[in-house]
Amino acid sequence: MSFRQPSVLPGFGLTFGFTTFFLSVIVLLPLAALVLAAASMHWSEFVHVVLSPRALGSYRLSFGASFLAATINLVFGFIIAWTLVRYEFPGRKLIDALIDMPFALPTAVSGIALTTVFAHNGWIGRYLEPLGVKVAYTWLGVTLALTLISMPFAVRAVQPALLEVQRDLEEAAETLGAHRFYVFRHIILPTVLPALLTGFTLAFARALGEYGSVIFIAGNLPMKTEITPLLIVIHLEEFDYQGAAALGVVMLVISFVVLLAINLLQTWGRRRHVRGAR
Amino acid sequence: MSITLDQVTKRYAGAPVVNDVSLDIGDGEFFVLLGPSGSGKSTLLRAIAGLSGVDHGRIALHGRDVTHVAARKRGVGLVFQNYALFGHMTVAENIEFALRVRHMRAKARRQRRQELLRLVALEGLDERLPAQLSGGQQQRVAVARALAHKPEVLLLDEPFGALDAKIREELRRTIRQVQRELGITTVLVTHDQEEAFAMADRIGIMNLGRLLEMGEPHDLYSRPATRFVATFLGAANLILARRTPDGIQMGANTVAAAERSPGVREREVVAVVRPEEVEVAASRDALSSGYFARGVVHEVVFTGALESLRVRLEDGAQAPLLAQADGDASTSLLVTRTQHEQRGFEVHPGQSVAIGVRRVHVLPTPLSSFTACAASAALTDTLSRQPLLAELAVRMKTRIAMRAEPQLGVPDAACAVDSPFVGTTAIASQTDCAHRAEWLLRRGAKDLLVVPEHAPVPQRVLIHWMGEAARSATLAVSASVLRHLSAEAVYVGIFPEQTAGAHPQHGMRELLDARSEAHLAHGLEMRTELRFGDVAPQLARRLAEAPAQMLIVGVTELTRFAQAFRGLLDGGQWPVLIVYRGSP
Repeated sequence: MSFRQPSVLPGFGLTFGFTTFFLSVIVLLPLAALVLAAASMHWSEFVHVVLSPRALGSYRLSFGASFLAATINLVFGFIIAWTLVRYEFPGRKLIDALIDMPFALPTAVSGIALTTVFAHNGWIGRYLEPLGVKVAYTWLGVTLALTLISMPFAVRAVQPALLEVQRDLEEAAETLGAHRFYVFRHIILPTVLPALLTGFTLAFARALGEYGSVIFIAGNLPMKTEITPLLIVIHLEEFDYQGAAALGVVMLVISFVVLLAINLLQTWGRRRHVRGAR
Repeated sequence: MSITLDQVTKRYAGAPVVNDVSLDIGDGEFFVLLGPSGSGKSTLLRAIAGLSGVDHGRIALHGRDVTHVAARKRGVGLVFQNYALFGHMTVAENIEFALRVRHMRAKARRQRRQELLRLVALEGLDERLPAQLSGGQQQRVAVARALAHKPEVLLLDEPFGALDAKIREELRRTIRQVQRELGITTVLVTHDQEEAFAMADRIGIMNLGRLLEMGEPHDLYSRPATRFVATFLGAANLILARRTPDGIQMGANTVAAAERSPGVREREVVAVVRPEEVEVAASRDALSSGYFARGVVHEVVFTGALESLRVRLEDGAQAPLLAQADGDASTSLLVTRTQHEQRGFEVHPGQSVAIGVRRVHVLPTPLSSFTACAASAALTDTLSRQPLLAELAVRMKTRIAMRAEPQLGVPDAACAVDSPFVGTTAIASQTDCAHRAEWLLRRGAKDLLVVPEHAPVPQRVLIHWMGEAARSATLAVSASVLRHLSAEAVYVGIFPEQTAGAHPQHGMRELLDARSEAHLAHGLEMRTELRFGDVAPQLARRLAEAPAQMLIVGVTELTRFAQAFRGLLDGGQWPVLIVYRGSP
């Protein structure tokens, strides 16, 4: 594709210039600074920091819990979106507005609220405790916090796609003899799959970067309930800027690879959808 | 019968969108449901498919009651206006969908698919995606898909709506061919009368949720029974005429002596004159058909094969034109002429011509026009603008004449206007209304409509007659009124208190007789209710039970009329139409 394409819309040069400039200043430059800071370390030092048992433990928790949270939201976000789109009921608008609350709430507040509820003497925690289920100060709590703050992304990504699923298609399938579940599996799901993946990606990315809400409920035991962003902060507090940068770079690389993979998966899926449609 | 509908009713928010529709469609028949948008035809089709439930009535497919059977178990094929193809599946997968659902083996599926693609002339497009096909091709795929599981019934919901004219024509032929080849019973829903004519074995015409008329295309066109069908199916001039023993009289001239029938009672009727049945000529002598009036051509439109004229009747023609194809009340007659006729006599705007009528069809409706009647000219004028009366007149495409009777209600006084009552006479509901009604009925009024000042358009019409002699007339009038309202009809049978336990069978038989006559003779579906007590008070009580009701009551006897009807009429809140059939 050439940059010199004739277009009915003038102003490509200007807007493209602006886009590059803006992205550079806001995104690329800080990232470059991060990589530079890490690059000033000696290689063995870098490996020592990045592959320390404590760091490895934090990766496992961060990526594992984020993945779990995004998966939970994939399922329940879809159900919530389905309910909001498909049914008319009193209070629908209210619930719809409620979805966005985690966006607006300072994350620390969410963390404190969750801790209050799920601590061993909290409203729900006190009943879970005798059952041997500990939420606060365990990986469960971390997953819970991440699920809460990434939930709106999943719902909001699926909602418009569900709105666009034509009722005709379902009715056509029904007259052709398909059961409800068959219709769902073969008509609705394929249509909203790209949106579901987008929702998953957004939720996953959001959960990875989360810091504020997790530190209250996690308990922050090294190796056990310590997430990577917290480890970075700990390095910073020890004035170990290079160590923090090194961990940052590792997170950056892994997230980038994961997001890229999901994006590619989506493009592949879409291409299969409209194979040669043009 | 392939499809049997029995009194199917579907309501949305209380208002019926499909109103008591009963219908039998034979094996292998191509039936077209025709009607304007919002007439309930699509809802009816969806009810047959099982996609929307019905509130009342029964649906049977091939003798199997499917009223409460889910869509997927009905064995119907449905084709949607916007194709509704599965965009993420290939043509092959789309067509095989119903077979895959039924766990058919891959080989058998492929074979069936090839067969269907050949049927709709789309061989070789198996692996395409719907987005890669043209609109016409997509609809062909949709037809093939709907036929895959060998349904007993094929339902088409405006399948050509989104296609351009040429492709539409082609697809029409294909579908008709496929339908004949498979002999599958088919119902097509459309608002396009040309399409209906081109495809149908039989057409059913719907309006306001009612199935107004059905029949073969030619019969419906040449002998419509209702104003709506007359004007919806092709263009028509509706003219108020008089039925006389000599024939049909329009204005001063008897135009159709051919329909002579000596025994007939002289009365006002609504005549349908198709534009192609109107002849124009330079003079009365040059006409080859019955002379109607003189007129002035004021519009000439050339439309290719035909020429379309509008001819304004000259004053003194005295035959009120009611409506034309577009439903506008108008003073000009619509005429279409072939090339041949044009060559024989050329016309241009402004020219004065003699108008002849080759063929007149008289609608069987007993309601021709309204006459607002009150004690003074000012009061008749007010009455003629009463919302319900005006609305009825507009819906019936008819006019409201005025008649001032200063002596209205004065015992023994004669009529001030020296002409017989024609059509339906309307009076305002007020104190002393029952006396006025009797006064008018005794002086020749046949159908009398009493309209309260603030009456909404009725949603339910109660029907009752006192005396069997009034039964047929009451049913005919009721059917005619109900065609123009989206209301439900309820026959209220009332029997004296003491027979409550004694002869209930007798009452039931009368109810059933009334219902079957209404259905057979007028296509009117009625619900029935049974009450015991005195007639007038029972009717008044029933009317007071719900808002927006109207009463149509047949009467054969005028003695003690005023006393009996005082409670119903004097200052009543409900419109009451009195159908009087007895000696004046």
